[in-house]
Amino acid sequence: MIKLHNVSKSFSRFQAIKSILLTINKGEIHGIIGASGAGKSTLLRLMNLLEVPDEGEVEVNGQKLTNLSSKELRQARKSIGMIFQHFNLVANKTVYENVAVSLELANFPKKERRSRVLECLQFVGLESFVEKYPAQLSGGQKQRVAIARALANNPEVLLCDEPTSSLDPNTTAEILGVLDNINKSFGVTIVIVSHEMEVIKSICNRVTVMAAGEIYDTALIEPKGIQNLDNSPRYFIEQLTKDGDLDHA
Amino acid sequence: MPDILVQYEAEIWASIGKTFVMVGVSILAAILLGLPVGTLLFLCRKGQKLENRIVFSILNLLVNIIRSFPFLLLVVFLIPFTRLIIGTAIGTAAATVPLSIIAIAHYSRLVEQSLLDVPKGVMEAAISMGASVKEIIFKFLYVEARSGLVLGLTTSIISFISYSTIMGVVGGGGIGDFAIRYGYQQFKTELMIYMIIIMVILVQLIQFTGTTVSRMIDKR
Ligand SMILES: Nc1ncnc2c1ncn2[C@@H]1O[C@H](COP(=O)(O)OP(=O)(O)O)[C@@H](O)[C@H]1O
Ligand SMILES: [Mg+2]
Repeated sequence: MIKLHNVSKSFSRFQAIKSILLTINKGEIHGIIGASGAGKSTLLRLMNLLEVPDEGEVEVNGQKLTNLSSKELRQARKSIGMIFQHFNLVANKTVYENVAVSLELANFPKKERRSRVLECLQFVGLESFVEKYPAQLSGGQKQRVAIARALANNPEVLLCDEPTSSLDPNTTAEILGVLDNINKSFGVTIVIVSHEMEVIKSICNRVTVMAAGEIYDTALIEPKGIQNLDNSPRYFIEQLTKDGDLDHA
Repeated sequence: MPDILVQYEAEIWASIGKTFVMVGVSILAAILLGLPVGTLLFLCRKGQKLENRIVFSILNLLVNIIRSFPFLLLVVFLIPFTRLIIGTAIGTAAATVPLSIIAIAHYSRLVEQSLLDVPKGVMEAAISMGASVKEIIFKFLYVEARSGLVLGLTTSIISFISYSTIMGVVGGGGIGDFAIRYGYQQFKTELMIYMIIIMVILVQLIQFTGTTVSRMIDKR
């Protein structure tokens, strides 16, 4: 579903991503974990070309994004949803308008817009908040609106950059539940960037561990825990073994 | 009404009319050209959607130069240009040319400032949803910055009124010119004070309206 082929990215002279090779399968929930500054967000932002790689190819949904014209890229982005740590809602738009705008951008048939917006808001449990503004919502509710907005155009992929990092533990669990539900109900491939092992462990099928712009390892997370994690940084190994669920190969 | 106002009523109304024409044209220029110039200034900045150092530097320099001119000198300096456009450099119509130029420069800077207040994340969300530049501007930037844009325009309009008061030098007329010619030069101090009162009321009204509207549309 998502293929990064020898992708590199530098900011002025600092190399944030060092020739990364990564494949994310259709239908999986893929975690990307690593310390702050490891390059997780940059890696995620390469997947919809918010960051343009210096070299390498980015393929999503069978399309080589790196080869597209800007118009084709905009089209491709409509089937790649994205949510953020700070939600990034338009504060001067109502909940309804925030979701509707993504349909407007995609030229979704006018007549069906209202019912589609309400359907998405219902899915995230906010159907009674249509006329509210983001300032009137809690953090968890704002993230739900952002999820509804990302979901509106039936994306194939949902990119999540620290989606729960500004939420309390209960709300975190709720939002992760919503994401899991999206994956199970619609088969949306989900990529979640997080620095919290708990988040990754609770919903991901696979995890990629990053440090200093490189991938240390990619491991499967089976129901009984994380498998085959060979050479990850000590910090994460410790995190994992602490909870006794690292079945180290 | 005081006798002196009754005596000069017709001239006063004519002056108010000319001030409205001059300020009105300035407002139009600010919205029709200052808004796009300010938007371009913002979008051409480093790290923004249309990042372009050359366009940014040229616009930035132009706006700075116009704004650093003492306004009276700008009016004189622009006389040949005004003559080219209007056919004459004298009169109310001619006065609107330098006023519009300063209006564009003035408001574009305030537009740029307001747009800089839009959270970067909102722009990123827009781009990640596949918005075109036009859609980013109209469906995101202007929506999120609207109260700042209104407040900026309010500040600009008040400056335009102030600038318009010196347009007597090119026969532009207006309240300021009337106050100077009758009140100051003919020693009718009372008349001058009444004109100042009219200006103060006008400015208060504009500020009140601007502040109220901007507060009403701000949902942040
Ligand atoms: N736009 C940028 N300009 C300059 N440096 C950046 C930019 N974005 C990220 N970086 C740098 O790249 C590195 C990785 O950043 P990021 O991907 O945000 O890390 P993470 O999400 O893992 O915390 C950091 O050192 C950061 O300072
Ligand atoms: Mg990050």
